[in-house]
Amino acid sequence: MTVKITNLTKRYGRVTAVHDLSFAVAPGVITGFLGPNGAGKTTAMRVLTGLVSPTSGTATIDGRSYRELPHPSRTVGAVFENSAFHPGHTARDHLRVYAAMGGHPDSRVTELLGLLGLGDAAGRRTREFSTGMRQRLSLATALLGDPSVLVLDEPSNGLDPEGMRWLREFLRGLAGEGRTVLVSSHVLSEIQQLVDDVVVIRQGELVAAGPLSRLAGPPAVLVSSPDADRLAAVLRASRPGRDAPRVDAAGDGRLRVQGLDAPGIADLAAAHRLRVHELAGEHTSLEQLYLRLTTERAATT
Amino acid sequence: MRNLLKAEIRRMLATRLWSGLLLAAALIGGGLIGAMALVGPENFDPPMPGLDTGTGLRALLGILGYTAFVPAAAGALVVTSEYRHRTAAVTFLFAPRRGRVLAAKLATYGLVGLLYGLVLAGTAAAALFAVAAARGIPLGLPTATVLALFARIGLAMVVYLLIGAGVGALLRNQVTALCVVIGYLYVGEPLLMMIPGVNALYPVLPGGATAALTDFTYLADAMSQQLGNPAVQLLPPAAGALLLSCYAGAAALVAVVLPLRRDIT
Repeated sequence: MTVKITNLTKRYGRVTAVHDLSFAVAPGVITGFLGPNGAGKTTAMRVLTGLVSPTSGTATIDGRSYRELPHPSRTVGAVFENSAFHPGHTARDHLRVYAAMGGHPDSRVTELLGLLGLGDAAGRRTREFSTGMRQRLSLATALLGDPSVLVLDEPSNGLDPEGMRWLREFLRGLAGEGRTVLVSSHVLSEIQQLVDDVVVIRQGELVAAGPLSRLAGPPAVLVSSPDADRLAAVLRASRPGRDAPRVDAAGDGRLRVQGLDAPGIADLAAAHRLRVHELAGEHTSLEQLYLRLTTERAATT
Repeated sequence: MRNLLKAEIRRMLATRLWSGLLLAAALIGGGLIGAMALVGPENFDPPMPGLDTGTGLRALLGILGYTAFVPAAAGALVVTSEYRHRTAAVTFLFAPRRGRVLAAKLATYGLVGLLYGLVLAGTAAAALFAVAAARGIPLGLPTATVLALFARIGLAMVVYLLIGAGVGALLRNQVTALCVVIGYLYVGEPLLMMIPGVNALYPVLPGGATAALTDFTYLADAMSQQLGNPAVQLLPPAAGALLLSCYAGAAALVAVVLPLRRDIT
């Protein structure tokens, strides 16, 4: 199912949270919804799920607004807060309430508790839950109706690396089944390895949308070497022609290389007996991405 | 609608609140009335008419009416807990037709209120009859009249629970809602009774309507006497019942209509 935001504007009093925003989210891939805090991501997602009424414009799922969906929880699963539970409810109690509300069988509760690794915690009250367990229970709630669209607001908040890896694999599996997955974040590096497409917004307006690989440019490797000049020549000569690696001096004996991966660079340096002191993949920060995208946009218009 | 009711009943049963509430009903009903009947109103300080008089019996039962802030507080507590624990957004994701959600909640709370009233009035009646029999005191009113008074008190509890729920849906903040509900019913309304001029309003306030419904004029009369005000004239019981139902209806309407368009952020 395709999610479509069209000319969406939301004003709270005199503050414009989202301004004339349009984009679409395709099924089968994970789409990252990026922007700094306060960019309007949560507002846009809340409008999409009917929690907030738009000032103008529309947000639709398969052509219908959320409130018009005949079976909302079978169509969309959304998580906005990672700990929206009554502290006195057990995990099973919590899921049973919402299973009843959505008309889903109780067997689904047990199934999800198992799927999300909460089987042992099913009878514990949620006030005792860790951040990771809360997130899993939130996800289980969203998945009760086996929805085709998944909307997650800042799911990586507070997760440790292991939790992050688990989430990545879990969402990858869901997208692989043909579902539409929209994940917001204000930290690009956290979801860089997770998402296929990105929608980037700033101050409520669209900055760019498309595959991350295209928007972020080819991955770069940073090399630090006392023989930087000779190494640069070797790297450039390694693959002559039109798609020769791009090597830029980054100052202080450092090189920024695009078109070669770290093992390739290390092998070439070793073959030419050149010293390498540091070799690291460069992580594009969200700020850098903005800078690139906004300068690019300024150049084309 | 059936799904929503099922969900709300599950939500209610999963917390300890409801069993605590029924325990409170038994303690207040059976415990308080039993203890007061055992001591005997004639031994109170200041002394009140005994159980063998109609006035004494009505006064004793009327005191039960003043514990209505307990179900009212419970109503405010359960409605606001959805906002406090931020589950309101999850609920409205599962059921975007918010009016129906609130209607299901009110139906559930009405049921709980009814149970509360039943336990309160039931245990109080049992305690009263048992103590009176044990002390060998003939009750000052016919049994049927006493039972009818208990039934009215029980029904008043349902209304108060719904009023509390309405205030909760209106204010959304748990602490504020509890302060408003308890503060008004426990402190505010009796204070209003003491202010000359304003106390003329008392008969149409929820407390006055409850007093009319339960035929409880003792406190109002005593207070008027003490302050030298003219006696407050309560509504007839049927009018009190009608007025109280209007309050409950208004509270329910507020609870259902208000969240319809409100943004959940």
